[in-house]
Amino acid sequence: MLELEGVNTYYGPTHALTDVSLTVNRGEIVALLGANAAGKTTTMKTIFGLVRPRSGTITFDGKRIDGHPTSDIVASGLALVPEARRIFSRMSVMENLQMGAYIRQPGPELDADLERVFTLFPRLKERTAQVGGTLSGGEQQMLAMGRALMTKPRLLCMDEPSMGLSPILVQTVFDIIQEIRAQGVTVFLVEQNAFMALNIADRGYVLQQGKIVLTDTGKNLLTNDLVRRAYLGG
Amino acid sequence: MSVRSGTRPEPAWRARLRALLRDTTLAGRPLEWYLSGWRLALILLVVMVIFPWLVGSTFVADAIAVGIYITLAVGLNIVVGYAGLLDLGYVAFFAIGSYAEATGTFGALQLNSVTGEVIHTPVLPFWPLLVIGALVAGIFGIVLGAPTLRLRGDYLAIVTLGFGEIVPILFNYFPFWFGNTGMSALPPADINLGGLTITFSDPLNRIPFYYVVLAVVALVILGSFSLRDSSLGRAWVAIREDETAAASSGVNLVRTKLLAFGLGATMGGLGGVLNGAYIGAISPNDFPFFVSITVLMMIVLGGIGSIWGVTLGAIILRFIDVDLLGRISQFVQANPVVNNPVSPLHFLSTVDFNQAKYLIYGIMLLLMILFRPQGIIPDVRRRRELKGIGAAVESTSAIGVLEREEAGAELAAVDTLDQTTYAGPGSDDIGRSGD
Amino acid sequence: MHTMALAAAGPAGFLNFLQAIKIGITAGAIYALVALGYTLVYGIIELINFAHGDVFMWGTQVTFVLITALGITSTIGGWQLVGVLALLVVAASVFCGVLNVTIERLAYRPLRRAPRLAPLIAAIAVSFILENIAELWRGPGQIAFPNLFPSTALININQTFVVEYRDVFIVVLALVIMFALSRFILGTKLGRAMRATAQDPEAAQLMGVNINTTIALTFLLGGALAGAGAVVFTVSTAGYVWFFTGFQFGLYAFTAAVLGGIGNVNGAVLGGFMIGIVEGLSIAYLPQGSILSTAVVFGVLVLVLVFRPTGFLGAQVPDKA
Repeated sequence: MLELEGVNTYYGPTHALTDVSLTVNRGEIVALLGANAAGKTTTMKTIFGLVRPRSGTITFDGKRIDGHPTSDIVASGLALVPEARRIFSRMSVMENLQMGAYIRQPGPELDADLERVFTLFPRLKERTAQVGGTLSGGEQQMLAMGRALMTKPRLLCMDEPSMGLSPILVQTVFDIIQEIRAQGVTVFLVEQNAFMALNIADRGYVLQQGKIVLTDTGKNLLTNDLVRRAYLGG
Repeated sequence: MSVRSGTRPEPAWRARLRALLRDTTLAGRPLEWYLSGWRLALILLVVMVIFPWLVGSTFVADAIAVGIYITLAVGLNIVVGYAGLLDLGYVAFFAIGSYAEATGTFGALQLNSVTGEVIHTPVLPFWPLLVIGALVAGIFGIVLGAPTLRLRGDYLAIVTLGFGEIVPILFNYFPFWFGNTGMSALPPADINLGGLTITFSDPLNRIPFYYVVLAVVALVILGSFSLRDSSLGRAWVAIREDETAAASSGVNLVRTKLLAFGLGATMGGLGGVLNGAYIGAISPNDFPFFVSITVLMMIVLGGIGSIWGVTLGAIILRFIDVDLLGRISQFVQANPVVNNPVSPLHFLSTVDFNQAKYLIYGIMLLLMILFRPQGIIPDVRRRRELKGIGAAVESTSAIGVLEREEAGAELAAVDTLDQTTYAGPGSDDIGRSGD
Repeated sequence: MHTMALAAAGPAGFLNFLQAIKIGITAGAIYALVALGYTLVYGIIELINFAHGDVFMWGTQVTFVLITALGITSTIGGWQLVGVLALLVVAASVFCGVLNVTIERLAYRPLRRAPRLAPLIAAIAVSFILENIAELWRGPGQIAFPNLFPSTALININQTFVVEYRDVFIVVLALVIMFALSRFILGTKLGRAMRATAQDPEAAQLMGVNINTTIALTFLLGGALAGAGAVVFTVSTAGYVWFFTGFQFGLYAFTAAVLGGIGNVNGAVLGGFMIGIVEGLSIAYLPQGSILSTAVVFGVLVLVLVFRPTGFLGAQVPDKA
């Protein structure tokens, strides 16, 4: 569904991603693991055209998307829950969700999706009029996810969805991710919390200093020595 | 996507020029030896000293005007080029210097208490005023700078613009300075050197005053070079590159910026004093916003931060102003295609290209910013900074640096990359300063 | 200080005061329209669009050209006046909106990732260009503009406090436009996209917003407001068109935007009226007020930027990511 092939991304002279190749298949949950500054967020930004790769190709459903404007990439069915949520802090919860639906036409289908988001995140329904910036961290994370779902993505990308959340909330978020997949949305997530991510992921990739160093099924990675030592504290 | 490689190949003409300078020898040395560092400065100085005897007195007046503008451009360059602070009201210091000269040499307006007659009494001769005028402007620079320098770059630009507008209004408002009609400003008094009289007041012989201006310009350029290479100069570079980092490595931001502002203002005042003595009469209308922009234009044209660059910028603009446009007008009007009353271009015969001066300035300024922000003679230091641009990234700090900078220098640690908003060339992202 | 002077001056003094306030409000309404353009653009790309005042000036030129083309040389009344005003507002708004978008495309967009001061200098250059084209075309002097409004006063107390049709026109039109703008920004999808882009351009892109389009739209709106302001200014207060109008007027309007809190739409309106009133009172009460009022307004600008750079209603500068 999503395919990165030999992607190289630079910040000035700094080589941030080196020959990154990875695949996300329809219906999967795929996790991208790595330490701080390994290039995880850069990978996401490169997929979404917020940073342009210097070489390599990115295809989504067989169509090249590298070099396309971000708005086109989003319109083709990819959505990103960005790192640190990046909700519109001076807009209400409802307006944030309406921004999620920016590329879509109003109609019964949209209303149904809004209901679906409210079912997934009942807290949002209680707070539709509240200004985004005044929500708690967990609520903001839910809003960011709900907002991304409103674009009706076929592939939902998430950058560090557990960052800054309490363990209970982290559990909730990962439950919801599985629920989202059950509803037919493919999920690609970047995580530092390797244990949680690998528990729900079908497959995973490990990124070190901008290079993919390891890939396997989620289960195997959980027991992999390198992963255990580096990311699971064991 | 576009990929820009590290260094662009040198154009052929430049390579040829370089080879010529290297291979041609004069008295056993290659030409390039003569054209570097203080030797170049010395050669230029010698040329400028004999200049009046080469060209005659008409050009001497122009050269004085150029010299005054060089003083301004080099002064503003300290503020904009060295410290990275955009000052849009530089004309204020020019005005203060001019009015200081006029107030001293001509005297402020007084009314005779008996007859009610307007009188004015000179207070000081030109020479001490050269110093006093500059100092007064410098003090105003510091007074203005103290509360404003912590503002963000674009706000500072507008505040200084406001100051530049207020100063002439105040000179207009107070009858002390003869209001809107303005006042006379006198040249230096004659100097008698045992039978030889040097006279500065002869409008047909400006050569003595030319040497005064030349001396000031030489000092200003010399001073500017030594400032650049001083520890203060390095502190300016540091705050231009990254204010936070500079502060954390012990640079006193307020003091450093204030010194740039004060020194720039001092040179503006110096130019003002020379201006007063040169044009002989001043009024508040001589100091519009256009003057500030013209000086800024010289800097952008010549090369921000580059002393020779801004000097060249001042020469070029002044040349366009006093000479080129008039010549174009004459040429066009004398051209048979335009002269002929039935020609479709006949309307051009009434066009005075001098009126298009600011239009031409504006177009030049825009084109420079868009296509050659580093100017005609780029600052060497900055050119080095510019090498190897990969993904063009907006500078996170350098207010006043007009070029896109390479990211690597400031963000060597990959750590920060993931947390910072970036976009490669041609993407839709808006660049912002992350302050 | 003024109130004390008033108490001493008695009823005539009070009428003078009212008249100064009225002049301030009508001028302020126009400042507000132009200030909105500064604030919208600043809100979205953090650029002080220095050329905005000159876009406004071109609106006054378009107004003059149309009035001349229509052959109107003196007062008209009734529905004819309403029709002419509507035509002028539409034409000048379209012209200035398109001009502003063109400027953004040619001069600012290529510099989006350049350091902040590069687009500012580009804006100054554009300002110079717009001014000087107008000067070459129209000459350096002010060109008289006919008075279109019937001079019958709606309120006239002792010839001192006078309210005319034109005063009503200015304030009503300005309020209608500002109301429409706020409906657009708060209540429509495009308006929401503009606000989202202002708050976080990257997140807005992730919602599928094409921010080039959004920014262009912002310049279109800002230009259109300046055009409408230019018509109001020309037909009802100025009495002339002049290539240099935009410089001072633009700075006043910018001051208004800063005073209210640049980036804040309500702030621009509030600031516009405040600057208008400050100017009106300065002219009425300061010695040589018409000279000093400029210094007073610039003084306000300097003081606000130094002591309260976020303005009265607080800046809504986009959140830093």
